[in-house]
Amino acid sequence: MTTHSTEPRHASDTGGADAQNAHDAQDAQDYVVQDTWIERAVGRGFARVTAGPMAPYQTAVIRIGFAATWLFFLLREWPYRHELYGPDGVWSLDMARRLLGSNGAFSVLVWSDGRGWFELVYALAMISSALLMLGWRTRTMSVLFMIGVLSLQNRSVFLGDGGDNVIHLMSMYLVLTRCGQVWSLDARRARRTAAAGADGTPGRDVTGVLLWSVLGPALALAQLLGLYGLEWTANGPFPHVGWGLALWVLWLVHGAWWWVRRYAPGEPRTVLNTLADLAHNGALLVIMVEVCLIYATAGWYKIQGNRWQDGTAVFYPMHLDYFSPWPELSALLAGSGLLIMLVTYGTVIVQVAFPFTVFNRRVKNVLLVAMILEHLSIAVLLGLPFFSLAMVAADAVFLPTNFLRWLGGRVAAVRDRLIPGGPARPASGEAAGGAAGAADGAAGDEGKPAGGPGARTRESGGGHTLVG
Amino acid sequence: MATAAGGIAVAALVHIAMMFLHVAPSNTVTKAHGAAVSDYVYPEYEQNWKLFAPNPLQQNISVQVRAEIRPGDGGSARTTGWTDLTALDGRAIHHNFFPSHTQQNELRRGWESFVGSHDAQNRPNGTRGELTERYLRRIAMGRLGAEWTAHGGTVDRMEFRSVTTPVGPPPWSSEKISDKPVYRVLPWWPVTVDDVPEGASK
Repeated sequence: MTTHSTEPRHASDTGGADAQNAHDAQDAQDYVVQDTWIERAVGRGFARVTAGPMAPYQTAVIRIGFAATWLFFLLREWPYRHELYGPDGVWSLDMARRLLGSNGAFSVLVWSDGRGWFELVYALAMISSALLMLGWRTRTMSVLFMIGVLSLQNRSVFLGDGGDNVIHLMSMYLVLTRCGQVWSLDARRARRTAAAGADGTPGRDVTGVLLWSVLGPALALAQLLGLYGLEWTANGPFPHVGWGLALWVLWLVHGAWWWVRRYAPGEPRTVLNTLADLAHNGALLVIMVEVCLIYATAGWYKIQGNRWQDGTAVFYPMHLDYFSPWPELSALLAGSGLLIMLVTYGTVIVQVAFPFTVFNRRVKNVLLVAMILEHLSIAVLLGLPFFSLAMVAADAVFLPTNFLRWLGGRVAAVRDRLIPGGPARPASGEAAGGAAGAADGAAGDEGKPAGGPGARTRESGGGHTLVG
Repeated sequence: MATAAGGIAVAALVHIAMMFLHVAPSNTVTKAHGAAVSDYVYPEYEQNWKLFAPNPLQQNISVQVRAEIRPGDGGSARTTGWTDLTALDGRAIHHNFFPSHTQQNELRRGWESFVGSHDAQNRPNGTRGELTERYLRRIAMGRLGAEWTAHGGTVDRMEFRSVTTPVGPPPWSSEKISDKPVYRVLPWWPVTVDDVPEGASK
């Protein structure tokens, strides 16, 4: 099907004479129709977005970044979890219900007043974060991760900050991406299946089937009990799509993907695979634009403020009670008016400029380094570690592939030094990332002298078709 | 497949357009179709990226509270001194690499939502206003309830006030600003069992 659609484009590329000789009248008509630059561009774009999932390393790194940020946050708040999200926390469940009743936001925490239910949801939120980070049953975990993030955050809306906001949005976008193609336990399993010499048919995957068989009935039960937030056509992720419908569609698609890989490896599998690529590429675009919107909004609104104009803005947050954990450091920096002005102007320039530089690799990468460094210093100076970590994870979607592969190789090298015999062992968090990175890093080094264009390289061996 | 690609492309572009209109300033399109944008964006895609913009906050807002304690033996009620809850948060954040949301966001954003849901006479506008009042009482009871009732008695009423102090100009600046604090005193609120979070006693 992909072949059919791209053929006219090919015909127009190779010249009119060949096309007319080789094709019948219908194809000749296609050729004429496509012979404008705009239609050729659409054809090229179509071929591109159906050719496979783009940016496997970038989507993997943001998956690891957001999952790790949320996991560290939940671990850090473990002693305070009852106060923040528990049934009798400061924002009580009864108050949460009244607010959710008016805004329709999704949360499973209001399903029960029991302490046990709360503890279970909090534990599942941590477990799904850890497993998403490792890339274990990535697509299922991305759904559970999203449910955990939305449930906790929507239950206590007045507790969040910008970091929570980024994670909230990205947890939904990640569900639509194939973010486990590299640096994941899924990818490792796919490689091993391939190495074991199977004829391309994936294994039965008992664990995956079990997980799927538990989650479907659980959703059915929740709906039968009439629990909050599972409508079919209202209060969902899109207009006229409720969370009930959305979750059932995801569940059915996961089942269908398993089925076609095992029993219908021909056209049905190609169709589903291409649809998944399309959804991935669409979500990737949304993620990238979202990051640009964040910086554009932050930058353009700053320009209108007189403190950003007179070069003193950065001085003020460092002197707010809530954002000055290290007053000595703040005082040291605030001692230099020139330094404060440079950071103030630099911040605005970088934030305003960033969206316009994404089309120029070199400039974009320079700004990216500047933004990541600024966020790391905000983490310490303003006492916002989780906000900063979430923003660095968001920035990472724009990191160049060569750098990410190099980083993967370094992580793998460190892992191998710490745990001799690394990749053969059951991997822990970093090791899982490194396992894929080790193999990829070797390939990356060979390609290094070629430089620039390597940015678009994809993991060789077509591994993505094996990983959901 | 071309239909699917077209559908996904349209969905992605519509989504991006909605996000853009949501974060953009009020404009011709949002004045005409603001409701459609809001319907799409709320609740799950709400976002605010005016980080320290257009100007960073230039004042410290201290939220303080005191209570009226009724002794168990039927004696006359006594009023506690003011406790600076924000200062307690500040102490918890001091030299802390990982401040908790309970220390950095709970009271700060709770107070913001109180201010946002009340008029200048401290009257609540609707349900949200009433909820934020209860939220403040629960925050105070969670932090001070045990201390207030350490020598017996129950918390009968409590009173909040905020003290807003401008951050002084930078040392190199010749700017002069008034450093006089501004007070906002809320009415006394009766305290009920609904105002007592887990782990606190009334």
